[in-house]
Amino acid sequence: MSVDRTEDLSPRIRDYLASRMPHARELAVGQIERIAVGWSHETWLFDLTWREGGEPRRQGLCLRRDPGNALLRHLSDLEMQYRVLVCLDSTPLPTPRPYWFERDTVILGAPFLVMERVPGVCPSPWGREGRAFYAAAAARGKLPASFTATLATLHTLDWRAAGLDFLGVPAAGAGFARREIAKWRELIAASEHPPEPILTDLIGWLEANAPSRARTTLVHGAYRTGNLLIHEDRISAVLDWELEVLGDPMYDVAYVLSDLNREGTPLLSNLVERDAFFLDYEAATGFTIDEEVCRYYNVLYAMRSAAFWMSASGLYATGQSDDLRLARTAWSVPVVLERAARDLGY
Amino acid sequence: MTDADLLQRIARMLRQDIGPAVGAEYPRTQAFMAAVVLEKVGRHLGLASEHAAAEAADLTALLVDLGRLLEDENAPAPVCAALDSLARMRDSAGLCRLIEALYAARAALGEARFGDLLGRVRQTLRRSIDRRMAVAG
Repeated sequence: MSVDRTEDLSPRIRDYLASRMPHARELAVGQIERIAVGWSHETWLFDLTWREGGEPRRQGLCLRRDPGNALLRHLSDLEMQYRVLVCLDSTPLPTPRPYWFERDTVILGAPFLVMERVPGVCPSPWGREGRAFYAAAAARGKLPASFTATLATLHTLDWRAAGLDFLGVPAAGAGFARREIAKWRELIAASEHPPEPILTDLIGWLEANAPSRARTTLVHGAYRTGNLLIHEDRISAVLDWELEVLGDPMYDVAYVLSDLNREGTPLLSNLVERDAFFLDYEAATGFTIDEEVCRYYNVLYAMRSAAFWMSASGLYATGQSDDLRLARTAWSVPVVLERAARDLGY
Repeated sequence: MTDADLLQRIARMLRQDIGPAVGAEYPRTQAFMAAVVLEKVGRHLGLASEHAAAEAADLTALLVDLGRLLEDENAPAPVCAALDSLARMRDSAGLCRLIEALYAARAALGEARFGDLLGRVRQTLRRSIDRRMAVAG
């Protein structure tokens, strides 16, 4: 039986939740919808209604399913995401509350996690509507402040106390940058993409110039608008916990500073004024933003992007995915390589 | 009608007629993505033979120039071997091996010579990526 169609999925989700909620009666899954977000895992949103102690209840839930063809391949781990969300639930960082992780593939055909559907919207920063949304929010001023404050919270939370040390502490000195380079090399190798000489040049440069990190914090890995849920002009949840690591907070800062994450505006992530970001982030964290190190990490992001797109297009090319968004990324590879060439000065 | 024109026409239909008529978000996105893919393939087909000829000419020029820059007896053997291999294979894997050999021999080459050799390779890489961007961009 197929479990890819919503009509097939709904009763299976209901039965699963019934087994996890022994006091609930008359469970019903409604308004289930697959949304086109994320590159690794399917995302389904639905409303769960039930009766408990005679009272009617309703809860919005989000289900993420790993169909086994994640863009990050062996580097993607839904159970790891679940563990990270469990750890973060007790911290001040706004994240969706995780409820269940299920590795038994019999239930929905693939492992999945169920978490809270946090109120808010997550406009794509790449579309016209999203750009207008962030431009209006930037003018009001409250959301940009929340964007920076939330990143500062992420970088200053006590990751040891939260139990996140299972993510692995990188070796001292340039260990963080080298570990990232090695990770993306692995993904490139797994993608079986034809050799790319600009990428070879890029990796040679990255290895020769890897910086030492000043401190170790939790790093989100993709902190930008589009991965943040917004409610009433503030960040209501940090989403997309797939690239998180323990490492150099400048890795996230570099991503915020990158012009990759803004379209036709000087505002960082289409939202925040650069000077205000520096001022507020440094005041909230006590860290000084090292622009030289950030420039290095931006070049490292070019390698990471190349790895993503090679992996994505490879999944489509080998028939492991039918998602045409992945097919399109075959043409994203030269785009990021061209950018890398400019970063290296040619 | 050429193959490239045919693909462009189908892409237009997907983008303008079929995509907007699809109600659900996921399949609508797929329809628009299909249009984008067909447009790129069409552009690639139209430029393929011109680009292949330019790639071959650029590689020949690179081999000649690097051969001159490495013709003295102090040239590191692994770099010379990688250049010979590239001359035989004439492919991107060979070019990658040459770049790796240059980085590995950086200390032996000295910064100035390393910069000259890598700089010449980068000229070729820039022309190649510009051609690919004519399709991808």
